Amino acid sequence: MLQRSFVKEGLARRALQCTARRNLTIPFLSTLPQKAGGVVGTPNDAYHPPAVDKMHGSYHWDFERALAVAMVPLVTIPLAAGGSISTVADSLLASVLLGHVYIGFQSCIIDYIPARVYGKNHNYAMYLLTLGSVFSALGIYKLETEENGIIGVLSRLWTADRESQESKKD
Amino acid sequence: MNGLVKQRVAGGILRRGLATASQTPRLKTFKIYRWNPDKPAEKPRLQSFQVDLDDCGPMVLDALLKIKDQQDSSLTLRRSCREGICGSCAMNIGGRNTLACLCKIDQDHKKETKIYPLPHMYIIKDLVPDLTNFYQQYKSIQPYLQRSTFPADGKEVLQSVADRKKLDGLYECILCACCSTACPSYWWNQEQYLGPAVLMQAYRWLVDSRDQAGAIRKNMLQNSMSLYRCHTIMNCTRTCPKGLNPGLAIAEIKKAIATD
Repeated sequence: MLQRSFVKEGLARRALQCTARRNLTIPFLSTLPQKAGGVVGTPNDAYHPPAVDKMHGSYHWDFERALAVAMVPLVTIPLAAGGSISTVADSLLASVLLGHVYIGFQSCIIDYIPARVYGKNHNYAMYLLTLGSVFSALGIYKLETEENGIIGVLSRLWTADRESQESKKD
Repeated sequence: MNGLVKQRVAGGILRRGLATASQTPRLKTFKIYRWNPDKPAEKPRLQSFQVDLDDCGPMVLDALLKIKDQQDSSLTLRRSCREGICGSCAMNIGGRNTLACLCKIDQDHKKETKIYPLPHMYIIKDLVPDLTNFYQQYKSIQPYLQRSTFPADGKEVLQSVADRKKLDGLYECILCACCSTACPSYWWNQEQYLGPAVLMQAYRWLVDSRDQAGAIRKNMLQNSMSLYRCHTIMNCTRTCPKGLNPGLAIAEIKKAIATD
């Protein structure tokens, strides 16, 4: 009896000691408190998945793959045509590229600034990404209407050095 | 006469003894991660142990048990079957997650071998990680046969040879957690991402022709965290000590629920 009470006391005093969390967190962002050992509930409880949302599940994945596959011909055509492509093809490439990059960065935010750890900062990061993408879309519109499109920008980068040298000669 | 015999026998033993004992012992250094929960303020450290390879079994587990038996009984590790079927002795040996009982000791005794617990896990002591979260995740995929209807004759639920073949390469998983703890995505988000080992088991029950809960199983993965944190890094397949392919299983799940 006495022994049992000692055992009970011992159990109450000291829980299982585990190593501390030592992964990198982004220094200037506030974080939420985390469950010890990453364990929610008792050890016999099952993991509880986030709410079902196909927009963030299979539809999202399908969209991502569709964009990635679409990139193949859209990049191949200008390469084959040596840079001279129609404005439609160019704007299509620019838009698909923007979508592809948006989803890529979205994935980075979910991975490295997860809502589980960073709470609202996760949303702010997403807003920032959306804002940047809107600006990019405006930029693409400007490039397609007023200038030579993104292929034009690219080919100009390629030849800029030569052009400047030629202008120096003149 | 008697003395001569004695001398010969003694000489024989000496010579026979010399054949092995004259060689210098091939002492190999093992650097092993140590952390004691009784002294939580002390930082984890690597402790060096030397083992004579001529007097030790071929596997890393043999060396670890030799160290535990003869040098430091406080060295803590999980082990059970010593033949790669229980998955207890999963640890990081020489930078690769593997089972200590299936990992041969590098016979170059001049090189040291570093042994760490499974990476990016909470450590209970020395080489023992806390796998509670891993088992919670395994429980969540409901790893058992679920049916709404049963054969009218009340006998077995039969399966064709072709359907049985689909389970090959999936059912052999021993849940040692080598693949999950090798996955960077699992390192960052192990509280929410299920990880390769558990997802491969999710697929194992998804393709089982006898199981009728496929819709529920698929639906559970319809969010951004549980399944789609897999970025096909493929560390899982590379490290699996049983030679299985969790990366392929995850790709198959993605394919299966793409049209859902």
